[in-house]
Amino acid sequence: MSEFITATADSVLRRSQLYHLQQSEGAQFAKYQDAVVVKQFSSNDSQQVKSLGVADLSTLPRSGFKGKHTPQWLEQQGVTIPEQPNCATKQNDGALVARLSEQEHLILSDLAMAGSLAQILEQSWSIEPDYMCYSLPRRDSHAWLYLSGEHVRAMLAKVCGIDLSAVEFANGQIAQTSIARINGILIRDDLNDDTAGFHLLCDSSSVIFVWQSLLDAMAEFDGKPVGLAALLEN
Amino acid sequence: MKQMNCPLNGLRNISEFIYGGEYHPMPDPQQCDKREWVEHVFFHENAAGEVTEWWCHSATSYWFLARRNSITDEIIETFPASKLFNKRVDFSAAQGES
Repeated sequence: MSEFITATADSVLRRSQLYHLQQSEGAQFAKYQDAVVVKQFSSNDSQQVKSLGVADLSTLPRSGFKGKHTPQWLEQQGVTIPEQPNCATKQNDGALVARLSEQEHLILSDLAMAGSLAQILEQSWSIEPDYMCYSLPRRDSHAWLYLSGEHVRAMLAKVCGIDLSAVEFANGQIAQTSIARINGILIRDDLNDDTAGFHLLCDSSSVIFVWQSLLDAMAEFDGKPVGLAALLEN
Repeated sequence: MKQMNCPLNGLRNISEFIYGGEYHPMPDPQQCDKREWVEHVFFHENAAGEVTEWWCHSATSYWFLARRNSITDEIIETFPASKLFNKRVDFSAAQGES
């Protein structure tokens, strides 16, 4: 696991679009590999994660590949890909591979950034004639939030039309839908056996609206933003 | 709210979809006359009854086809475009055009 090194929000170039808002909410920032993340919002973060919390993972590594030969290429690289679209599979190094359609895949780094599958794949990829596998970088195009806690489904029901109940929406299932009227990708990836969790990716240009809408929807359940450190404890 | 079944994503609210116009098969650009090509590009049937249309699921930018009754607004079926577009079409400039 990487270490948090205390830093200011603007100390490196790779920072979240939300850092101004997070500063005003009392975030403590830290350098974590090549990115600045929110380490902690308050000493109550660990409890908040179990009740209802939202973490901003936008500066963590992720990548994507698209094209007819993409499933074949990913398997050649040793990636375990889900059999069906709209499903996600955990890799041995903790990364999450989400199959968004027959030919499009999204790779999310593990939260501890212990592995580096997204970066390894980006480095080993090259464009080749007659081989349809195209790189689709996601680190700048999409913001990445993580929602967790016992009230997460009740909160999401206020902003999303899909039935996300535990029975209907299994762990590893994906919904690409409208969330607070913004198109987004929701991936169920529980934090552990006791705490439900969802990754939410949306266009980075809309994330300030989405962040504020989620905090507004969360207020009813005393939901608050949380830092990355609390997620890694669980 | 009215709902539509996306072939990739399943049943979704109609607000997640964008209408993409009528589907009509493309005439062979090498063989057809100008009138036929102009009709294909610019004219629409606007038929009352069962029609086939392009629809897009906006959250995934996924284009597919739907059979719909334009009188009753009933969606009869939706299916992936690959059902009709199953071989590559190569284009080259039509003879006599520049």
